[in-house]
Amino acid sequence: MLSSDQNKQFHEILEELSKNLDITPAQYEAAVKSYQFVGDWLSRPESPLAPYAPEIEPQGSFLLGTMTRPIHEEDDLDVDLVCRLTGKRAGWTQYDVKKIVGDRLKQHDTLKRMLDKEGRRCWTLLHRDEARFHLDILPSIVSTGYKLLFEQKMFSDSIQDVEKLAIRITDTKISNYYTATDIVDWLKSNPFGYALWFKIRCQVERTKLMSLNEAIKPLPPQEQQKLPLQIIIQLLKRHRDIMFNGDEDKPISIIITTLAAKAYKQQTNVIEGLISVINTMQDYVEERIDDKRRRIKWIGNPVNPAENFADKWPDAPNKQANFYKWLGKVKADLGHLIIQRGPDIQLVMADVFGKRDVNKAFSNIAEAAFSQRRNGSMKMAGGTGIIGSLGRTVIAPHTNYGANE
Amino acid sequence: MLHQEGALRSYFPASKITRNGENELVWVGELTPTPLSKSYRVKLHYKRGEFIRVFVVDEKLRLAEGKDKLPHVWSTPLQQLCLYYPPNNEWHPGRFYVHTLIPWASEWLFHYETWVATGEWHGGGIEHDQEQKVD
Repeated sequence: MLSSDQNKQFHEILEELSKNLDITPAQYEAAVKSYQFVGDWLSRPESPLAPYAPEIEPQGSFLLGTMTRPIHEEDDLDVDLVCRLTGKRAGWTQYDVKKIVGDRLKQHDTLKRMLDKEGRRCWTLLHRDEARFHLDILPSIVSTGYKLLFEQKMFSDSIQDVEKLAIRITDTKISNYYTATDIVDWLKSNPFGYALWFKIRCQVERTKLMSLNEAIKPLPPQEQQKLPLQIIIQLLKRHRDIMFNGDEDKPISIIITTLAAKAYKQQTNVIEGLISVINTMQDYVEERIDDKRRRIKWIGNPVNPAENFADKWPDAPNKQANFYKWLGKVKADLGHLIIQRGPDIQLVMADVFGKRDVNKAFSNIAEAAFSQRRNGSMKMAGGTGIIGSLGRTVIAPHTNYGANE
Repeated sequence: MLHQEGALRSYFPASKITRNGENELVWVGELTPTPLSKSYRVKLHYKRGEFIRVFVVDEKLRLAEGKDKLPHVWSTPLQQLCLYYPPNNEWHPGRFYVHTLIPWASEWLFHYETWVATGEWHGGGIEHDQEQKVD
């Protein structure tokens, strides 16, 4: 059992670590600049999409504030974006919308060079420069009035009518891809409704009054006061990345994020929240019988109950097995971590969350303590000798020396 | 020495103090620099006419990977800590141990723990071979 002081210290350590899991300000700025450029290009007057007021909005972890740096410097960041068109020409099918967006991108020499081969639902722009990220752009159609609704919803703290935030998307594997011209026959997706649900799940007492609009606008990571659930999810994703190191069948982020958000009980302390989340997240995996009469696992999309985030598991049993292996290892690793003391905390964390970022976090903490002592506000408690902001005696200035023997 | 003993007892009631008049004082107490740190037994030894010495005792301190010496010590085998730089006049015998050497030792242990794990010392200080007056 951890004492409340130990809980508090773990919280501070994990919060510091999570800052090192954020993308860098340079990566953030490069990604925003890049997608804003794409939005502008698609909406210029000469663009065939101009009448439909295309807008590029972030979705996924970029919007949720759970973006986590790749463990290898050379790996790309994924930035998930929605290209929202307000309406479309009556005769356009999914194929037409996808192609017109792609063709418009190809009209720009640089974007054309960056364009990856066409995806099932997205166009992908690869940045091969030092910023190292790629933009996944999801073409979609919304109805007139969507933008107003979107703004209103983001200010609210209720997911009532959240289905109205759904967008219509294209999918090359859908049978009516070349034929359906009425968007009611297209696939629905609700990334902004999900973001709203997530932001509500993130709230703790002290942030209840925070405007959701403020919360949901992606801020540069360094300016954002991350909430405990966002930190918990970053830590879980990093643990997954270290454990699976590029394995394609690793548990996917949307499953980790959804289960963690469902299991989270508004703890303000990250270590308490994290332990509670990992011990209860499997309770939110349901069992159902599918149309082939198989027992399957069901992880429902909170804003679209008909969608199962674990829909690939029945045909890829390795994905399901890996999820439970991962959850078992997170529990074992954290159980092991919280009984360590002294340098072993740092060493175990380095194994679990990656040496580079863990060492950086502890170095930052040590440097902060050093400068606190230098400015005369570091104290020592009687009885234990614990150093910190509270204590019985201010630590006097001194200079560690050394005979180097 | 009587005042030193009184202050040590007041700060660390569970510690062990032996005093021989004004000539010698030995304090042995446990220091835990943070709630998640290990506890270390520290010995402070004053003897008239000698430099006061501070040691970590009863356990062999681990070294950081690839290092063969502790940082900022007089002696690695003796685990004798080097907590002040004499030319800076940071320490003189009129100062209370509980205001100086003991918090300095706890702070040393705090930075030691990060040093073991990362190999980096963030607690400041200077080495013998770069003697100079620092703030």
